[in-house]
Amino acid sequence: MIWFLFLGDMLVMAFMAALAVWALWGSSDKAVDQAAGIPLNDERRDG
Amino acid sequence: MKLNGEQYHDRVTAWLTGFAIFWSLLGMASGVYVAAELVWPTIDFGHEWLSYGRLRNLHTNTVIFGFGISALMATAFYSVQRTCHVPLFAPRLAWFCALGWQAGMLGGGISLLAGWNGGKEYAELEWPFDIAIAVIWISFAIVFFGTIAKRRIQPIYVSNWFYGALIIVVAMLHIVNSLAIPVTWSKSYSLFAGTQDAVVQWWYGHNAVGFLLTGGFLGMLYYFLPKHADRPIWSYRLSIIAFWAFTYSYIWAGPHHLHYNAVPEWVQSLGMVMSLVLLAPSWATLVNGVMTVAGAWEKLRTDPALKFIVLSLAFYGLATFEGPMMAIKSVNVVSHFTDWTIGHVHSGALGWNALITFGTFYFLLPRLVGAELYSTRLANWHFWLALAGVMLYVLAMWGAGVSQGLLWLSLDEIGELSYSFKDIMASMKPYYALRMVAGFTFFAGAVLMAFNLWMTAKGRRIVCIAPPPPVREGA
Ligand code: HEM
Repeated sequence: MIWFLFLGDMLVMAFMAALAVWALWGSSDKAVDQAAGIPLNDERRDG
Repeated sequence: MKLNGEQYHDRVTAWLTGFAIFWSLLGMASGVYVAAELVWPTIDFGHEWLSYGRLRNLHTNTVIFGFGISALMATAFYSVQRTCHVPLFAPRLAWFCALGWQAGMLGGGISLLAGWNGGKEYAELEWPFDIAIAVIWISFAIVFFGTIAKRRIQPIYVSNWFYGALIIVVAMLHIVNSLAIPVTWSKSYSLFAGTQDAVVQWWYGHNAVGFLLTGGFLGMLYYFLPKHADRPIWSYRLSIIAFWAFTYSYIWAGPHHLHYNAVPEWVQSLGMVMSLVLLAPSWATLVNGVMTVAGAWEKLRTDPALKFIVLSLAFYGLATFEGPMMAIKSVNVVSHFTDWTIGHVHSGALGWNALITFGTFYFLLPRLVGAELYSTRLANWHFWLALAGVMLYVLAMWGAGVSQGLLWLSLDEIGELSYSFKDIMASMKPYYALRMVAGFTFFAGAVLMAFNLWMTAKGRRIVCIAPPPPVREGA
């Protein structure tokens, strides 16, 4: 059971880490700044 | 003018906020009561329903699952729509999820008082509730990921990574840890036994702390801190790296709860090493948070909500430093099975989880109803009561825990225990009395908050807020 949990966890995490590398790959400074600014401009109160 | 007639679904957030406040008061009141029982053990008056064994579970379940999860659902629903520029996906399902959770908590709380207990820490509820929790949790996942799937902007903001991890990991932990064979409505037997059961339980238990009480609330921090400070997070890249490093190392830190037990030595050592590794991502977030506020210090003088959030960051730093230290085997020899652990838990639970949630609610509720906070003065009072309460609580438990650990380890000249368990426990009374006073102080502050927010929202309607207009590609 311990090995099962350990290997399972590591596989899931390896997948997630690969996903992260893929997601961050080639993200320009501009794209990062844009993402960082999301919470500052996310609603319109005149509706 | 509305955008395609669309507006954010904020009523569900407002109700969940109200439920979270209700559970926080009930949870803390039961916490104060069990703290008092440790000073005056006879105040259960012979009723099982008031016994320590049952009330303690009511306390942990109402604070973690009633208060914590309701607050996380409220803020996840609020922020995911905004960070995706679309209203919630399947809003009826969101209501099912919000109300179903409350019904489950109410029924679950009563069942604990009635003595139903699965016997697993932080997963005491019996199997009918486990199934209901799984169903509600899956609806939470559908609403959350459905909203992300229909988002109008491409990047998935970092808070959503944390909330997403909370949803996925808790589903996995809950389902595996709850596998059991029911024998009656109120009794089931775990599918795991002995050491395996211990490993599964702490794989669940520690990752619940990790992905719920830490990760989930980091989602709250990453959305509400920039919003509140009115500036973007200091380093967005660092936040993403911290997320993945955190996710990667947390998942295997659980065995630090099983040091010197019958689990293999290498599992214990790995748990210790992974816990030490965790310091890096935890403090990366701390640095990111502090640097974000660094440009808005002047706001701290006037804005009580921001004060709560900044103080919560300090306690986050403290608890995430203390945790890895306690995971070191030679430190754990002293700290394990003592009140030091209870002090550690509450420096995180009160100092981090409760304070960041209070700060967020002070920010959120006035915005939801389009009004000023009823009383800044009361909020400031709350701040000082909360700070005094958490400091006293932690100091009392450190004092109690370190003395217990050292006294238990002390041997006389022929190698026998110098002090009996009974003698040591009898000497704990002053510490326990101090903890009770501390808890009451913290609770009193939360009552002020409930009154303040009630007066802010009383008789008002939820304001309609629309997503910003779509950004044209290349604009
Ligand atoms: C008024 C504030 C509170 C008081 C007086 C209080 C008191 C207590 C007491 C007396 C215990 C049992 C300790 C023992 O068995 O030795 C306990 C356990 C616990 N409390 Fe609280 N509590 C408070 C608030 C909270 C909050 C807000 C949270 C979470 C958000 C929390 C989470 C926990 C947890 C997880 C445990 C179990 C710790 C363990 O088993 O190691 N508490 N609390």
